[in-house]
Amino acid sequence: MEVVTDTIYNKEKLQALELLYSVMDPELFVNIMDLGLIYDLIFTPQTIEVIMTLSTPHCPMGEAIVEGVKNVLAQQFTDHVVEVNLVWEPKWNFELISSEGRRQLGI
Amino acid sequence: MSDLNIGKAPPPKAVIPFYATGALFFVVLCLLLFLSAGDLTGHYFSPHLLAVVHTAVLGWGTMIIFGAGYQLMPVICERDIYSPLLAVISFYALTAGAVLLVISFWFFWVGWPMITGGALVVTAAVLYAVNVYHTSGQCNRQAAKFIVSSAAWLMFTVVVGLLLAINLRFPFIPMNHIDVLKLHAHAGLAGWFLQLITGVSARLVPMFLLGKSAKEPLMKYAFYCQNGGLVLFLADAYFNGISTRGLFYELIIAVGAVAWVLYLADVYKNRVRKKTDWQMKQTGLSFVCLLGAFVVLPLLYGSNDKRWAIVMGTLLFMGWMTGIILGKTFKTLPFIVWNNKFRQLNGKVKVPMPKHLYKEQLVQYQFWCFLIALLLLIAGISLACVVLIRIALVAWIITACLYVYNVGVILFYKIDTNGSSN
Repeated sequence: MEVVTDTIYNKEKLQALELLYSVMDPELFVNIMDLGLIYDLIFTPQTIEVIMTLSTPHCPMGEAIVEGVKNVLAQQFTDHVVEVNLVWEPKWNFELISSEGRRQLGI
Repeated sequence: MSDLNIGKAPPPKAVIPFYATGALFFVVLCLLLFLSAGDLTGHYFSPHLLAVVHTAVLGWGTMIIFGAGYQLMPVICERDIYSPLLAVISFYALTAGAVLLVISFWFFWVGWPMITGGALVVTAAVLYAVNVYHTSGQCNRQAAKFIVSSAAWLMFTVVVGLLLAINLRFPFIPMNHIDVLKLHAHAGLAGWFLQLITGVSARLVPMFLLGKSAKEPLMKYAFYCQNGGLVLFLADAYFNGISTRGLFYELIIAVGAVAWVLYLADVYKNRVRKKTDWQMKQTGLSFVCLLGAFVVLPLLYGSNDKRWAIVMGTLLFMGWMTGIILGKTFKTLPFIVWNNKFRQLNGKVKVPMPKHLYKEQLVQYQFWCFLIALLLLIAGISLACVVLIRIALVAWIITACLYVYNVGVILFYKIDTNGSSN
């Protein structure tokens, strides 16, 4: 899925997305951006809402990934509250993995 | 928000003690086997072999499976574990029960030590079953059905085991003791271990391989064949005595096992993750051992030679059950420990990934050592050659040392926040 960006917070969004490349899925050892887990980022003056999914509900590493997203954004955007909104629609599938993610997975 | 949608991993005290204790029991198992090398060419109903088998099935197999089960049930059923407290109590009951039973069998102390050990194991099984039942809830997944049915078979198995322990001291069972022992063993192997492993692997293997199968009905056939064959075997043996008809019922169970393996083979064929690590190779080898045990089965019925029973037991306990645990430990334990130690730090500081928590090279050595040990042991028992058996058991002890060392590396992993590890 394409990550949507709008013009108002374009710079911050790009910066946030860049940061999310450093959050790894501990099992697959690929970052969550290349896995296609991030669906959208919504910036307001006070908050950052991360709309994302996991490869499976009750993913054993789910808590750690969500924690990683919150930590990495909270460190950079200290004046924003980071909220993670997990969604299961659209359901994650292998098609969402980027070409770099596929390369790292050896697909 | 996220808290509403994802489950919480069970507390470490409900999982990790099972892995640590199970690893120690594996070392004890290999040492006891070495001390019993001569018994492996005789009848299976000997005090030392009974102690060895109960070390394998309770201290090693069931111990690790309980720990893995408490961790994985929430993943499979998509619900938090019902009661971590019951899980902790079941650990103490199982550990105490297994220790008492193994010592009682080794010295053949029939009476209260053995009966108490059996009662503690029954307590652990009941607590486990309550947790499984409540955690699975209304979950309609085939994997969850297998886990619930396996917990029911575990209760059946351990209750019959307790009755057998009582029967040794206060005889009351009208049937031949050895015949009831066979029912106990069948329920444990085809009910508890086979069905539990079938259920868990049906969910985990696709997850690890990023694989999918369109052949879901195979898992339904597996469920009905494994349960149907076992019920028919037990009922016929109980009412009419054990006969060659048993081979037919075991064939039904084998069809159920083959259906499950075919399902996994289809997942493997359609996997996204092409690289197969040593853990998955070890798991694959364990399936070969299970199918090998079914091939040996006709020899058991067609011959009075008791060594085939021990060959089959070796394929099942040391090949299949041990093989799958050796592989899956390093697919689960590093993640459990990582979640406990590093989850909060993820994204804040540089932390190692779960696969950095153990020595990958040792898993490879463990695989080859396991393969050599298993082949030598089967050859030694088949040829009734005690020297070969002893050499095989030295290889088993090395395998156990490699395993327990690597488990220790994971459990005692330390890191400072600069990112350097121990």
